[in-house]
Amino acid sequence: MNIMELKNVVYAYENKKKVLKGINLSVEEGKMYAILGPSGCGKTTLLSLMGGLDSPTNGQILYDGQDIEKMGLSAHRKNNIAFIFQSYNLIDYLTPKENVALTSKLPPLPILERVGLTDEESKRNVLKLSGGQQQRVAIARALASDAKVILADEPTGNLDEDTAADVTAILKECAHQMNKCVVIVTHSNELAKQADVIFRLRKGDLQIAAN
Amino acid sequence: MNLGIRAILYTTRKWKKTLLIFCLLLSITTLVLSGLAIADAQEEQTEEVRGTTGASFTVERDISTGGWTSGYSTQEFMTDDMIKEIAAVDGIAGYDASLITLPRFFNDKGEAFVTVENYSYYCYGSYNSQYHELFLSGRFELVEGKHITDDMSNGVIISKELADRNNLKVGDTVTGIYYPENNTPAVDMEIVGLFDIVADKDDAVNMYDDSSYYDYSNYVFCSMEAAKGLIKGWGEDGDGISEAYYYVSDAAQLDSVIKEVQGISSVNWNNYKITSNDEVYQNISSSLSDTGTLITTLIIVITVVSMVLIILILSMSVRSRKREMGILLAVGIAKPSVILQYILETALIAVVAFPLAYLSSRQVAGAIGTLFGKAAENVVVTPQHFALVAVVGGILLIIAVIVSCIPALRFKPKQILSQME
Repeated sequence: MNIMELKNVVYAYENKKKVLKGINLSVEEGKMYAILGPSGCGKTTLLSLMGGLDSPTNGQILYDGQDIEKMGLSAHRKNNIAFIFQSYNLIDYLTPKENVALTSKLPPLPILERVGLTDEESKRNVLKLSGGQQQRVAIARALASDAKVILADEPTGNLDEDTAADVTAILKECAHQMNKCVVIVTHSNELAKQADVIFRLRKGDLQIAAN
Repeated sequence: MNLGIRAILYTTRKWKKTLLIFCLLLSITTLVLSGLAIADAQEEQTEEVRGTTGASFTVERDISTGGWTSGYSTQEFMTDDMIKEIAAVDGIAGYDASLITLPRFFNDKGEAFVTVENYSYYCYGSYNSQYHELFLSGRFELVEGKHITDDMSNGVIISKELADRNNLKVGDTVTGIYYPENNTPAVDMEIVGLFDIVADKDDAVNMYDDSSYYDYSNYVFCSMEAAKGLIKGWGEDGDGISEAYYYVSDAAQLDSVIKEVQGISSVNWNNYKITSNDEVYQNISSSLSDTGTLITTLIIVITVVSMVLIILILSMSVRSRKREMGILLAVGIAKPSVILQYILETALIAVVAFPLAYLSSRQVAGAIGTLFGKAAENVVVTPQHFALVAVVGGILLIIAVIVSCIPALRFKPKQILSQME
């Protein structure tokens, strides 16, 4: 069953330049999706619209059949979506544990351990962790929330090969074992190949590249 | 994690920023509290001046409208009823009038009191001796007993020097006779008070002359009724009260009090005139008003500059936290919750800074007050000042935080995050 649906979504910048020209997309729980495309093609914008970080110029975005604008974007972000950003976006005065606890009431340590952080690392200031460790904290924060949709923006973009592979495995696990809908935007073919469905975004249009 | 915990974690872990805002709030609040205390001291001084600068008016016989006989005015004297009716007007704090006689005094054995050269005594019949010019000017000071008041019938106050010379004390009875040689009435009086002479003997303005009855130690103040008793049957037709002095409780109200007095219909105002005297008050109040304006302006300037400074610093602080704001919004934390967190952080700092400012201002307000010509002990920071500053300061801080947040919160989370990236 579709958990999210985009209907003819258009997005134009303030200078009227259309970056998304009528996107139609449906995503389901239990699958990992990849949206491929070159830099600047609007991948991050598409993810932001799905996550309620911005509003489309035209069109409708539905979550579980409900228009997210009517639901309230803040409520949508809080209850339905978990984000993993390329630049991690962790709160810099909190420890990994506290960053995870920001959106969840679950005990943070087991989740952090699951993504590969030790107890000692989970008590450090996040700025004292490596890029890979910070990305793991960001993933743990997403996993800790009970959102059904995880949106990941270039989650392996700043990581070395081994760490990128670990992160990809965790995301796959989220989709296939935790029955979440994982949507990744990336320009990495390697990462995209791990997805169940691959879309390609080009000149504002979205097409299925592989299924 | 709720906003309270986030606020506590931020204020403790970003301690340098916390310390900066704390120092700022502490110094600003100390200055404002001191300013309020100085302003109050100023107000108190003004109130005091209004009540004590001797704003008064005199009601006197208008000899220009009366007749003349043998070189004396035949204008009617002031009556007891008239003097008291005027004194009953609202706003009059005290009054006095003088009926001067030159009696001799005797003790209960009939022995005349010793004066320096055995002259008569200079005796003022008085309604309220505390308002007599000699006491108001500070030349005499009551050191024992009480003043003559208008409800006394046979009271007298004498100088301590005279009392010592004649072994008299408060409570003793003396007898006054205006002209013993002419069998004028003897009036018994009870000594109710003793005064000290503070006036400088060498200052000519004091008319202090040892060789006459102008010797201050021979001055006597007795009840008006007793004074009238002394002259009964001798000179009462030619002697009376020519003028009475009225002191108002608030110098600023002098004109309105005089207007009300002039409205008393039982007095024939064709025979009397009123002269106001508030020159001292006008001079002092003008200078006090200038100082008051200066202090008020300074408080306003300090408060406004401080608020601008705080808004700037909070704005800079919020700007530096724009990314954090974007992240919090992106993970689903609502805008009001983010603003409340920032307000709570500022409140946590203020909760410590305000009471410390109260304590520090109590130490420094006096010193600052001296710069404005106030006695340090008169500049007191009260709990009321603290309550005012805490409430108004708290509201202004909340406004400052909200104003600082507005520019960032106008954007959507994506715009904030992409700006930061």
